[in-house]
Amino acid sequence: MILAYHPVTEVRFSATTQLQGTILEVSEAALRQHLLEDRRLQRVDLAIVHPGEACRFGVVFDIVEPRAKEPGAGPDFPGIVDPIATVGQGLTHVLQGAAVTVLDAAAPIAGGQVVEMSGAAAQVCPYAALSHLVVVPHVVPGLERPRALHALRLASVQAAVYLGRTAVSHAPAHRAVFDSLGPVDANRPGLPRLAYIGQIHSRQRVAEVDEHILYGANTAGMAPVLLHPNEWLDGAVVTSYFNRAVETYFYQNHPIITELYRWHREGNITLVGTIATMAGSDNDDRARNAMLAAHQAKWSLAAEGIVLTKYGGGAPHADMALTAKLCEELGMRTAVQASDMSQDRRAESALLFNYAEVDAIVYVGGNDTRWTVPAVARVIAGTPEAAATLAAAQVLDAGRLCGVTNQQGASHLRSFVH
Amino acid sequence: MRVVHYLNQFFGGRGGEEAAHLTPHIQEGAVGPGRLFEQVLGAGAQVVRSIVVGDNYAAEHVESLSALAVQEVQQCQADLFVAGPCFAAGRYGMAAGALCQAVKAALGIPVITGMAVENPGVEMYRQEVYIVDSGTQVQAMRDVLTTMARLASKLANHQAIGQPREEGYMPQGILRDGFVAPSAAERLVAMVYAKTTGQPFESEFTPPTFVPVPAPAPVLDLSKARVALVTDGGLVPKGNPDKISPYAATNWGAYDISGRDDLHGEDYEVSHRGYDTRYVEQDPDRLVPVDALRELEKAGVLGKLHECFVSTSGLANPLANSRRLGREIAEKLKAEGVEAVILTST
Repeated sequence: MILAYHPVTEVRFSATTQLQGTILEVSEAALRQHLLEDRRLQRVDLAIVHPGEACRFGVVFDIVEPRAKEPGAGPDFPGIVDPIATVGQGLTHVLQGAAVTVLDAAAPIAGGQVVEMSGAAAQVCPYAALSHLVVVPHVVPGLERPRALHALRLASVQAAVYLGRTAVSHAPAHRAVFDSLGPVDANRPGLPRLAYIGQIHSRQRVAEVDEHILYGANTAGMAPVLLHPNEWLDGAVVTSYFNRAVETYFYQNHPIITELYRWHREGNITLVGTIATMAGSDNDDRARNAMLAAHQAKWSLAAEGIVLTKYGGGAPHADMALTAKLCEELGMRTAVQASDMSQDRRAESALLFNYAEVDAIVYVGGNDTRWTVPAVARVIAGTPEAAATLAAAQVLDAGRLCGVTNQQGASHLRSFVH
Repeated sequence: MRVVHYLNQFFGGRGGEEAAHLTPHIQEGAVGPGRLFEQVLGAGAQVVRSIVVGDNYAAEHVESLSALAVQEVQQCQADLFVAGPCFAAGRYGMAAGALCQAVKAALGIPVITGMAVENPGVEMYRQEVYIVDSGTQVQAMRDVLTTMARLASKLANHQAIGQPREEGYMPQGILRDGFVAPSAAERLVAMVYAKTTGQPFESEFTPPTFVPVPAPAPVLDLSKARVALVTDGGLVPKGNPDKISPYAATNWGAYDISGRDDLHGEDYEVSHRGYDTRYVEQDPDRLVPVDALRELEKAGVLGKLHECFVSTSGLANPLANSRRLGREIAEKLKAEGVEAVILTST
């Protein structure tokens, strides 16, 4: 797969939607009309926000990088936008530096995820460095919540692809090749064979019947599945409705997969593949998923080292740790990423697993990081009440700022044991 | 800076093991390592009073000795209380930790001590007191005192305290956030690479060790026993009368089930945000199996199902809080004559 990067330094409304150098021009009317083809939407508000602006917006439903496949190279968001077919091969155009951010107008503002575009908090928020097209879909009155969430998902990927297509006829500024041959790569003898096992859903919350997670499937009844690393990067996976510090943007730019690729390209390792798995809803579910994921890593990928991450809240740590333990028992070495679970900041309460073999832990912090942010002149929110709440000076916890406590490997925040 | 210093009989120059029963000996000014400490603390620092006590006496009189230390520190209007360093001396370490903790709690001034990792005082007091890692070798006295002095100055001046390794103290088990240059992804890949290729790596977190909880004596005759159901799955009567939090609950509730053979979804709700609660809401017996236990009660397998079940929400609950909840629930049930508990979780 080739990612063709088209840097975007500015997004602005214009009569037509097109890419002019590094300026992405968006026809408000045309994009609105495109999104309103979904008749569950009554109205769509659009706004543009740039890095450094005294602007705050939320509640974020998801953040998606505008991308489109080169015509004939494969589907965009298969199972959601396009029919199901393989992604992760051919050429994909990327509007680098831009983001489609969809707000959920019905979500409570208390505790909701926000993006802060200026000040100290913005310094550590990866999304504050992007130019956002903020999309606020308003659904028709009385629409059931699952239908509304489905409409938000559709709007997010439709808008991203709509913008991404502006790049199709343009020459990219640079390209990157993603060329893992998977477990059969015979040209790299002696290099450590590394893989990634990532949870893409937690059954703490049951996915809606029509919720898109993996190639449009809601993962119900699904066992862990082998994915080519490129499939994550190219639209096979989106976040579930109830995500926590996981955005589709960081599937498309998966920090762990792209880091594994960097080591792979530099000739230090062989990236042999990835496995997508789910955190279980009960012990059997957990044991089965953990066992099957470990088996696949061993017998299908012949991996020697595995990075593991979890999805959702606290309980999925147990699934991740059990998977890691089983991998270790099969002779593979593991490193896992834990979220900050300590309510009282005591190390004794901070970890939800305790296996001797699972001894390589990256610990993402967050529970004592917060910013006092000033009142801002500009806010974007789903309702006037939410806007008023967001506009005020307030204290924002790290966990509320999109990207700061990211679970996909993007976070720079960690906890130290003092 | 005015300092009060605690030493055992050996370091206080009063004798070896034969003087272990020495009663508290208080003198003005610095003694033994106290003089060196004064030196490394620098100008303006003064050990105003030294308390020298035999190790055995200290072990047997921790409470009165603590009170004495608090009193001496108060009288001297000291800004800092120092104990040891104790190296591997166990009784000395235990006393030093206890006295530091007492002075800190009573007066709120900085306290500091030093011990070897294997000193029992470390496990006992590391969470409350800054304990500099002294190692076991007394020859390192100057280095240890220098580290203690540096940390003590920072504490006295309310400066930010760095990480245990850079400051030289034993980790207190308190998490503090910090931003780092490499992303989590970069750290993960580097760590797994090192581990896979047999190179040293440093985990960002070491799982804590816990004292094993011994299993209680078995119930000799279940057919005569009173059995209670306890859950941390958050089942509460409709309206959540005790307002049990769905996240890291700080209280529990006891709910009457006398006369009920079966729990019905319309009477209950679940206050817990960590699992898919629909199946319990449909049929609460799935979490609190009153129906099955009633059958066993009727069949004579168990003596009596207790009149109430106890519920709380365990989700991401700090251990300190969980211990308290557990103790309270156990005390209540014990007082009510319960001999066995079935704990159901999610």
